[in-house]
Amino acid sequence: MSDLSPGTPSLGGAPAGVIHDIGYRHYDGPRTGRGPATAALAVHTLRGVFGLGRPARAKIIPFLLVGTMMLPAVVSIAVMAVAKQKMAGYTEYAVIMQAVLAIFLAAQAPYTVAPDLRFRVLPLYLSRPVTLWDYVGAKLAAMAAAMFLLLAVPLTTLFIGEMVVDLPGPPDTGGYLTSMAGAVCYAVLLACVGVAVASFTPRRGLGVAAVIALYLLASGVSTVVAAVMESVNDYDAAAWAWLINPFFLVDAAVQVGIFGAEPSAPGSYPTGIGVAAAITIMLGLIALSVTALVIRYRKAASR
Amino acid sequence: MNGVIAEISYRALLGRRRVWLLVLLPAVLLALAVLLRVVDAGGERAAVMLLQTFAVGTMLPLLGLIAGTGVIAPEIDDGTVVHLLAKPISRPVIAQTKFLVAASVVAVFAAVPTFAAAYLLIGLESGVASGFALGALIGGVAYAAVFMLLGTVTRHAVTIGIAYAVIWEGVVGNFVPGARRFSIQQWAQTVADQVSSSAFLTTEITLGFAAAALLLVTAGAVVWAGQRLRSFSLTGDE
Repeated sequence: MSDLSPGTPSLGGAPAGVIHDIGYRHYDGPRTGRGPATAALAVHTLRGVFGLGRPARAKIIPFLLVGTMMLPAVVSIAVMAVAKQKMAGYTEYAVIMQAVLAIFLAAQAPYTVAPDLRFRVLPLYLSRPVTLWDYVGAKLAAMAAAMFLLLAVPLTTLFIGEMVVDLPGPPDTGGYLTSMAGAVCYAVLLACVGVAVASFTPRRGLGVAAVIALYLLASGVSTVVAAVMESVNDYDAAAWAWLINPFFLVDAAVQVGIFGAEPSAPGSYPTGIGVAAAITIMLGLIALSVTALVIRYRKAASR
Repeated sequence: MNGVIAEISYRALLGRRRVWLLVLLPAVLLALAVLLRVVDAGGERAAVMLLQTFAVGTMLPLLGLIAGTGVIAPEIDDGTVVHLLAKPISRPVIAQTKFLVAASVVAVFAAVPTFAAAYLLIGLESGVASGFALGALIGGVAYAAVFMLLGTVTRHAVTIGIAYAVIWEGVVGNFVPGARRFSIQQWAQTVADQVSSSAFLTTEITLGFAAAALLLVTAGAVVWAGQRLRSFSLTGDE
């Protein structure tokens, strides 16, 4: 301590600013910097998506949806054990459960972005070593990891169940691995699009409605257009129409196009150039969503 | 009915980004109708399919959800509902006014485009256009009432609303016939079937059950929402 008590005006008469030490404990630990800070943000967001670290009310909806996702896997294992025959395939799992995946995305994607936008805390994050790209990347990674877990856990349970029950014939390892590759693509595409749409409004309710409205529009339009094209015997156009639905898009691009699985749509997908187009559309949608997110956050951070 | 509350609710519903969603849904319906017209796949069967799966099956619950929760849930979320509730206006009147606002918005954005899409495809043939317009109107009003009630009961109104519309009415209704008796969509289709004489539209529920259920659900939801506002307690945001 100096002999001048804090806050005393200096001899010249002009008041001098002083920072008082009011006894808070100092942080002496290691400062880990940008990478670990981003990872911490991603893990915090991922926990929050499933309601961990939030009140019990916030856990009800995610865990109900996780339970619904597990249901076909559990039923299917039971059928395999009792009746010795297979029920649900691996690659069609995401397509059959698309409504549940879409609701999970719609319900939880706004949680990852809306509160920070609404309470204008973005400058607080950006005053740390975390950059804008880190922030957006962490949020996207968390949502994608959540979607992947939602899909991969039932698939893996089903696969383990199949091995334990030990049906005659080899287990469908190829189908399982294909569906896991598909799950990665589903997770990345859905998370990018969902978070990008949700980030355009600071209101959680409107974000939920916007994401589910886009999914229902895409699936409704693809069903109607495909049915109409089939009714006028234009099967090529009908095959393209299925690609409007994001779930059939990933199925056509990755699971059917790259790995040669059976199509899960009610009709067939375009072949040849269609596979390349499906992959391009999928990557284009991801790139578009990330660009939109970064532009959105540049604007939000400058306020 | 209170004019000022109605004006505020209209502004909240139509003045911000919400209105784009309300416009997008009927715009897609009309675009699909034009597409059907262009590829010459029109005809009564295609028209009934479009109206059944898209207009009543997809657009109507979404519009009901956006309008129904939109009149009350954002105010509760923000906490600005306190200023409304502190005024010497009867709480049931507040609920009724907000319901009328939501119902009128659904009528304009759902029933009118449904009629236009059907008219574009087959004109006034066998009453399909007027039938589905009436069904969309009555069903949309019921959706608006139920989702407004949901908005006063829980903060997760939108999520629970879509779970009802997508999982219960969509998935469960396809596999379990009994679930169809408790679906606003099916009631709306019953009303449409009653007006139209089209052979492509068949419904299983009797008009008596559907009409009674629609009336009961709509009136019950509005009354309950009023009661709910009377004993409204503010809880902290999570």
